[in-house]
Amino acid sequence: MRIEIARLTKTYKGKVPALDGLDLTVPTGMFGLLGANGAGKTTLMRILAGLLRPTGGEVRIGGHDVTTGSGRQAVQRVLGYLPQDLGVYPDLSAREFLDYIGLLKGIDDRATRRRRVGELLEVVALTADADRRLRGYSGGMRRRVGIAQALLADPRLLIVDEPTAGLDPEERIRFRTLLSQLAGERTVLLSTHIVDDIAQTCRELAVLAKGRLVFRGTVDDLTRRAEGRVWSVVTAGPAPVGGTVVSALPAEGGGLRYRVVAQSPPTPDAEPLAPTLEDGYLALAQGRPAPAVPAR
Amino acid sequence: MSAAFRYEFLMQVRKRSMWVAYGVIVLLLGLLSFRTLGDVLHDPVAKETVASIAFLVNLILPVGYGCFLADRLVRDDRLGVAAVLDATPASTAGRLAGKYLGACAAAAIPLAIVHFGFAGLYAAVAGRPVALGWAVALFAVVIVPALLFVGAFALVVPLFVPAPLFRVLFVGYWFWGNAIYPGSMPTLSQSLVSPIGGYPLQVMFGYPGGDVEIAGPVPGALLNFLRPEATTATAWLSIGVLLALAALVLSAAPALRARTTR
Repeated sequence: MRIEIARLTKTYKGKVPALDGLDLTVPTGMFGLLGANGAGKTTLMRILAGLLRPTGGEVRIGGHDVTTGSGRQAVQRVLGYLPQDLGVYPDLSAREFLDYIGLLKGIDDRATRRRRVGELLEVVALTADADRRLRGYSGGMRRRVGIAQALLADPRLLIVDEPTAGLDPEERIRFRTLLSQLAGERTVLLSTHIVDDIAQTCRELAVLAKGRLVFRGTVDDLTRRAEGRVWSVVTAGPAPVGGTVVSALPAEGGGLRYRVVAQSPPTPDAEPLAPTLEDGYLALAQGRPAPAVPAR
Repeated sequence: MSAAFRYEFLMQVRKRSMWVAYGVIVLLLGLLSFRTLGDVLHDPVAKETVASIAFLVNLILPVGYGCFLADRLVRDDRLGVAAVLDATPASTAGRLAGKYLGACAAAAIPLAIVHFGFAGLYAAVAGRPVALGWAVALFAVVIVPALLFVGAFALVVPLFVPAPLFRVLFVGYWFWGNAIYPGSMPTLSQSLVSPIGGYPLQVMFGYPGGDVEIAGPVPGALLNFLRPEATTATAWLSIGVLLALAALVLSAAPALRARTTR
């Protein structure tokens, strides 16, 4: 299911544009969306899910114009959506909550709905707690309920916003694998801060900054942006300047081993390293002009 | 709509605080009317006796009813459930109607228990089973319109007024607009838009009887244009106006919600 976005703009009342003339095409399969806080990822996700009306531009999903009522409903029939700030009804059990969402998604046959809810509770490892009220669930457990509801109607389009936030490492890996398995004939749009989630699941991705598209290509393309710009520096002194410190680990023999993304070696004895996707993302951020400072 | 009805009903009926609060109110009412209860239970006029209970139920219990429903619509956004619900293909109007009717039906259960419980007790003690028939009629034409009217405002007004403030304003409105004698100050009491149901109670059930009137014009009172003579037609008109106002208020909900979320 192809997503075609052209000149998309969204401006909240009295605020700077959250999306500013965005052009993007998302093909079938798994697609990552990266960006800092305030980049416009969540706004884009909410527009695609039919929750927000854009201020301008066009959005077509599988040929349906989501800015119209009929187009929005057509998309929502095939949509699974996991919002960033997902909440649940504390007075319902996980099974009841999923049953409710299943009904709203049009799974009218009771037996089919029960079977599907049971399967998904199993997938997210909540079968044992399925009949407990959601009031007593931890954040991670609620997140898993959110994942299950997104998958309920076997969606052809899956939009997941920060899906692994709050999950423990094992759950994160399991959910990432599940998303990859679900892709194939579906479109899975994964928005996250966690670069590793995209590195492990997506072949293609886009990077947003201040409501604009600043990168669109493959994971390898973005990783290559940091080629010749990733350095290892060992020092007992202050952190190297002139670049972005990615990590700092205790070094053998004292001091700290810094991983730095910088245009040139931050110290004379800096050693070059092979880049990762995270390095590529940081290199991309370094390459963009600094935000304009308003005149006083 | 049926999905929203089913689960909103379930969530509201599970609200423990609702049962505790209604329990306390009913206990207080019971204690206050304990001395006269014996006389009432032996009153031979079934219609007026059951109507008097409907009047009392409709005067006191909707206060709690309105307060309990005040968070039903806004809480979807507060809990973070709204995005998931809005991303489903279910129609907004259908979900709203289901939520409204489901929550209202659940919150009406305690009122129904008090109303039918008393009618049943009276029917048994006085040996007047016809009281149960009158109870059904009173519930349908006096209590249900009031509950639908209050429910609509309780769901929608908190979209632009904080729910706690709505509750305070609602309690004030309820007694001002229903319990105050129009001759003493400007009020909506005894008018077509008074949800206490003065017109149907007086015209259809002969309550309160004698020279006392709870509907119709009051000499010297303001807003008498809202108090036509109490007749069968104006009783039905009053019910119709209450239901029309409820529908009108509910129809504004999607636009009001969009204003705050888009």
